Amino acid sequence: MRGSIRKLPEERLEGIGVCPGVAIGNAFLVDDPRGRVVRVFLPKERLESEILRFRDAARAAQAQVKLDIERVRAALGSDHAYILEAHLLMLQDRTLGRQIENFIRVNHANAEWAVRDVTQHLLEVYGQIEDEYLRERGSDIEDVAHRIIKILSGKEQRSLNELADNSILVADDLLPSVTADLDPRKVLGFVTGIGGWTSHTAIIARSVNIPAVVGVRGITERVRSGETVIIDGSAGTVILNPSPETLIFYTEERQRQRQQALYDIEERELPAITLDNHEIRLRANIELIEEIDTYQRFNAAGVGLYRSEFLYSQAESGQPTEEEQYEAYKFLAGMVGDEGAVIRTFDLGGDKLHLEGFKAERNPAIGMRAIRLSLSVEPVFRTQVRAILRAAALGDLKILLPFVTNVDEVRRAKKIIADVKRQLASEGIPHKETTQLGVMIEVPAAVMMAEALARESDFFSLGTNDLIQSLLAVDRGNENVSALFDPMHPAVLRAIKMVSDAAAKMQIPVNVCGEMASNPVQVILLLGLGLRDLSMTPSAIPAIRRLVRSIKLADAEALAAKALSLDTPAAVRHHVQTHLNDLGSELLAAAHAG
Amino acid sequence: MQKRTVTITNRLGLHARAAAKLVKLAASHKSRVTLARAEALQHTADAKSIFSVLLLAATQNTLIEITVEGPDEELAMDALCRLIAEKFGEE
Repeated sequence: MRGSIRKLPEERLEGIGVCPGVAIGNAFLVDDPRGRVVRVFLPKERLESEILRFRDAARAAQAQVKLDIERVRAALGSDHAYILEAHLLMLQDRTLGRQIENFIRVNHANAEWAVRDVTQHLLEVYGQIEDEYLRERGSDIEDVAHRIIKILSGKEQRSLNELADNSILVADDLLPSVTADLDPRKVLGFVTGIGGWTSHTAIIARSVNIPAVVGVRGITERVRSGETVIIDGSAGTVILNPSPETLIFYTEERQRQRQQALYDIEERELPAITLDNHEIRLRANIELIEEIDTYQRFNAAGVGLYRSEFLYSQAESGQPTEEEQYEAYKFLAGMVGDEGAVIRTFDLGGDKLHLEGFKAERNPAIGMRAIRLSLSVEPVFRTQVRAILRAAALGDLKILLPFVTNVDEVRRAKKIIADVKRQLASEGIPHKETTQLGVMIEVPAAVMMAEALARESDFFSLGTNDLIQSLLAVDRGNENVSALFDPMHPAVLRAIKMVSDAAAKMQIPVNVCGEMASNPVQVILLLGLGLRDLSMTPSAIPAIRRLVRSIKLADAEALAAKALSLDTPAAVRHHVQTHLNDLGSELLAAAHAG
Repeated sequence: MQKRTVTITNRLGLHARAAAKLVKLAASHKSRVTLARAEALQHTADAKSIFSVLLLAATQNTLIEITVEGPDEELAMDALCRLIAEKFGEE
């Protein structure tokens, strides 16, 4: 138990920042959402009444079970009531009752939390029983605990409705039902023990724009309700027991961000035009339909990349049906209107499709994935194309093929798309007859074949993340070499230039959808290399808009031209750094802000 | 005080249903009833607490020592041994 007088050292925990920004607030622990148990620290004078509250609930639970036993006996015979008899005995068990009451007293805990904690401990003990059948009785204990907790919370709501102002919600995971009835005015941030970029908490956080860090292991054991917590959603850091210096630092940082947010709002309607009058298109990368709110908040000019494979993480049956996909694409089409949205077809590995006889790959990043998988498991691809074509009748949707290495892949995909169109026409199903087809340029082979690919397609999308990895032969996830992943490598710049030139020559548009498009310094180079259409995570749009408005395209072109002639990444970096000054102080500020 | 060692013979051992029967039977007597696995006599279980009994994790063929102490100890011991011998009425 943590002492309240002793000052604990500051503790920094790392997780995944899923919505940027700083929040400073009081931790509010939400337990297992199934029981919606919240931990409350009670003053001494309330402990006895809390114990009585527990006893009342335990008695009520017993009465419930007795009624259930009667019902089951009457309906099925007394043999079937025995599990319930066991539940009743558990509720009457004095050992359990004493433990719970003791927990309330010692820990100043509310009854719900005490019930959960004590039964959880029992469950752990049962978990060690070797006999599988006996071990399974744990579920009976869970049942009994839920029954008491339900009665407790029904009688006296200690739920999220009682949330104090300035709360930071801390939980292992937040379920939709919990986040659905949150009061966003009272919640400053989210921290969860599990989850990733696309977990429910992350999506909610981004859609309401509240700083959030997920995947902070063991967070619920390390923080207590009411304690001051700082979260930095940009860095993915959670700070417990912050020192006065840390508190001051983050208070100032928060102030700076608030000021920035005001500028962002003021500037969101401003056109993304350079000082010498060239318009740059800033679009949004979207993973999930629910995130479309952020698209509007940052005033993106359409969706440059919709990563459709995330439908797999949400599909009820594990595999999104045509109708599920159609609904998602239809929604997307309606939201983006004339600005349009680019749907990248599933960039999945074979493991996701649960194919029979599919063996795990040693190196799935260059294995059976994306367009390769789509062409080898045609029905899945056809279903997706059908759904897109149907939805495209309601708005401007384009199709983008990921991981293309061979012109033939594009030709085969086009054949299938044409065939699906014929089929839809013969079935009399409304669909779009002329959809644009794009090719993702993200492997060196596609760069080399850019002109030929341009002949077969309507637009390019430059995926810089994968391209840099394969071009420089660097696995970003490998700590030994991740520092070699370098967007400023001259080889990367030259490859981008080749693609940009090929697209210009063949007169097709090219969009950049990798992380380079959200980095202000790298954006200067991209513009200088001839790119005019950038797609990025929506929250990056304000900074890039500011950058675009503060430079001359001619300067960026001169900078890039020189960078192309240099022979090492270090030389490129040095060159860019020294010339940022020439491009004006505003630009420098904008670049450094990113 | 009465002491007797018996073998759990029903197939599923002292699982929830069997434990419930045993606890109910023990609780219907005034005497104090404790159980222990024959190989770990220092860990006694209160036969009137279902959690305690379940934690014995007594599977089929486990040897259990029953200790009964109180006004109705003989009666209680006989009843408990009968229940166990009859495999809790399960088979």
